[in-house]
Amino acid sequence: MNAKLKETILNPIFKGNPITVLVLGICSSLAVTVTLKGALVMALSVIVVCGISSLILSMLRNTIPGRVRIIVQLVVVAMMVILVDQILKSFEATYAIDKQLSVYIGLIITNCIVMGRIEAFALGNKPWPSFLDGVSNGAGYGLILLIVAFFRELLGSGTLFGVDVLNWMGYVPNNLVILPPFALILLGCIVWVQRSIQKDLQEK
Amino acid sequence: MADQNKPGLFEKGGKLYWLHSSIDAFDTFLRVPGTVTRRGAHVRDGIDLKRVMIMVVIALVPAALFAMYNVGYQTAHTYSLDWGFWNMFWYGLLRMLPLFVVSYLVGLGIEFASSQIREEEVNEGYLVTGFLIPLIVPVDVPLWMLALAVAFSVIFVKEVFGGTGMNIWNPALVARAFLFFSYPSSMSGSSVWVSKTWVPSLKGVDAISTATPLAIAHDGGVQGLSDAGYSFMDLVWGLIPGSTGETSVVAILIGAIILVWTGVASWKIMLSSIAGGLLVGWLGQLGGGIPAYYHIVMGGFLFGSVFMATDPVTAAQTETGKWIYGFLVGALAVVVRLWNPGYMEGMMLAILLMNTFAPLIDHCVVSVSIKRRAKKALTA
Amino acid sequence: MNTNNNIYTVVYTSVIVVVVAALLAFVSQSLKSRQQANEKADTISQMLTAAGFGTKAEFQKIGNAAVLDKYAQEIAEAFIVNPEGEKVADLPLDEVYSPSQLKAQNYKLKGSDVPELPVFVFKNGLTVVPVYGAGLWGPVWGYVAFEEDGVTIKGAYFDHESETAGLGARIKDDPAFQAEFQGENADWEADVKVFEIVKGGSPKNADGSEIMDNRIDAITGATMTSIGLENAIQTWLKGYSKYFSSKEQPAPAEEAAEEVTEE
Repeated sequence: MNAKLKETILNPIFKGNPITVLVLGICSSLAVTVTLKGALVMALSVIVVCGISSLILSMLRNTIPGRVRIIVQLVVVAMMVILVDQILKSFEATYAIDKQLSVYIGLIITNCIVMGRIEAFALGNKPWPSFLDGVSNGAGYGLILLIVAFFRELLGSGTLFGVDVLNWMGYVPNNLVILPPFALILLGCIVWVQRSIQKDLQEK
Repeated sequence: MADQNKPGLFEKGGKLYWLHSSIDAFDTFLRVPGTVTRRGAHVRDGIDLKRVMIMVVIALVPAALFAMYNVGYQTAHTYSLDWGFWNMFWYGLLRMLPLFVVSYLVGLGIEFASSQIREEEVNEGYLVTGFLIPLIVPVDVPLWMLALAVAFSVIFVKEVFGGTGMNIWNPALVARAFLFFSYPSSMSGSSVWVSKTWVPSLKGVDAISTATPLAIAHDGGVQGLSDAGYSFMDLVWGLIPGSTGETSVVAILIGAIILVWTGVASWKIMLSSIAGGLLVGWLGQLGGGIPAYYHIVMGGFLFGSVFMATDPVTAAQTETGKWIYGFLVGALAVVVRLWNPGYMEGMMLAILLMNTFAPLIDHCVVSVSIKRRAKKALTA
Repeated sequence: MNTNNNIYTVVYTSVIVVVVAALLAFVSQSLKSRQQANEKADTISQMLTAAGFGTKAEFQKIGNAAVLDKYAQEIAEAFIVNPEGEKVADLPLDEVYSPSQLKAQNYKLKGSDVPELPVFVFKNGLTVVPVYGAGLWGPVWGYVAFEEDGVTIKGAYFDHESETAGLGARIKDDPAFQAEFQGENADWEADVKVFEIVKGGSPKNADGSEIMDNRIDAITGATMTSIGLENAIQTWLKGYSKYFSSKEQPAPAEEAAEEVTEE
């Protein structure tokens, strides 16, 4: 059991990463990765939404009527998304970031990772492993988000977390990096690196 | 010399085997190799890829020579310098040489390195790309930007897709697009077209901004052009500010004749893209725009349709497809020029977009043809 | 337990929905005051940024309470004018217009109702007025600060709900874009545009410096946002044009001097 739990936690981070291997959640990873701060808040939000939704639905799993299970999942996920959005709006420190992320916090609900993990894992497993599965899938998503955001903020604005890193030595920010297509190129590079390390992912 | 070194040293198992692809590249560049394919049925021509590439470079030479003269001419003209013909030419040559050097050093460096890594022969595709890139950028573009763009283009457009012949988009145009979107202030506007760097007497003189005829016509129409002192024939001869190689219609047409005469590039694409440009330009003219034929002689339209759209790797392959592809390139380029206030020059975007759709056009042409023949067979 | 019969399904979903709705309503109510406080401080810091009292980042750093303090120090009067330029009501000094309030006025401004246009006058003579309109994906709004003459723009700050990051979002994120407004003039003549955001911006003087008129350069790659923002500015400043025209004083000294030289 212990080894299986470990697998549940570690698999989504690298080997079964939701973005680079399952290719889910691409849309938001293009949109919120212009700054590291935004990516970090987005990543934490997805971890919270994914983890707690999985937990709640795993606890309810034996009572949910089969015919309406997608709708029940949707209600729970939507509730979590709204809660996260409301809480982010309520604190001085996160208000500005919530505004910057604008619709994308609300769009977590359409992120296939959340519903996908609930459908594939939480409805068939006990609450604790389900919670861990949700959290680590969110973390796998967040990890890629942070890597992409690191390069985009560094090359596109010359800063990291808003702190000047390159501009003081005359770096000319690259405007293309700020545009969404470059996030896709970066994602491609990450997939490239991952597949060269992990040869069994390569298609024949 | 390479031949004497080849046995042993560079063959499989030899001491310097890891260098074999580079040695091969230089060896076959100088002489036609004696090896022939021994297996399988295939159609071969007496002319190989390297000879084709050389032909394109030769066709580009008039445009490149004119570009050098024009770079000097624009500087002398803008800053009222008393320069003779050779002075202008030498200044342009000196100013453009670094662009060529950077383009080839970076591009070929990456090509050679990646061939070594993959243990494949070095491809000669970069010969043309490396010659094209300096001709489609403003003369004052910083060299590090150019190096970055070349590296990006060769890695992400060619090598990632499998090297020469496998790319979806024209690498030279992608390098330009990279520069255009990354550093818009160095690629457009009115201060990048005339170079005064390297003229000692102009040190400390304020830069004079010069808009391209395309930009002038965009705002002021034909009236604006004649106010700025550009007649239609000026645009044809090409002593105007612009990206280095694109200005002279005459030089480009000489290149076009070489390409068509040697059969290297498709005349169908050139012709249909001009037709497409004229048609949409005519629609714009009805709506109060400039006369349609101005679109052909301004900006990068002709250079694009002769040298870029006809790139055999990225263009449509079927004969009917070439007509459709070329027509849409020309039409879209002028559509962007007329109705998009954001980007003045539509040729780059139009060719890249049609590069993307070229396989689809071919697919449609082939399947329509198959259906038609099947029908014929049925009725017969 | 049979979870698949109809009655169970209906009861189950009803219970879930009611529970979730109650929870969300409770959370929303209990957090509302905090959210409104955040929004108000944000709005005030945008107005202060437009008026040049600091940058948005600085205001963010010092926190909400300090922003409100700063505003209370600097504000002289706040009132509502109608499109005829007449003052119709006073605003309490601690009250500002939230984007949703601006939205309501925006409907009136475009329709036939008489809008209530807020004006904020600071102690140093600056006048800040809001603008509001539709961008590419959602609303854009902002604040324009005028010098005492009612013509020269001191500064501007813009915000948006969902413009494209890196393109349209530059109306908010790019300080260079907002800086372009500084020193430009609004044109209060009745039949021309008050302000234009166009490709290329103002024509240049012979020495390469920009001529200060009512034009600034649009954002490359964000044509629709630029047009939307221009329309927002146009619609709202038109509403204020009578108010500002009445403030504008002819410069008698200069005219007199001209007459003398002509004679």
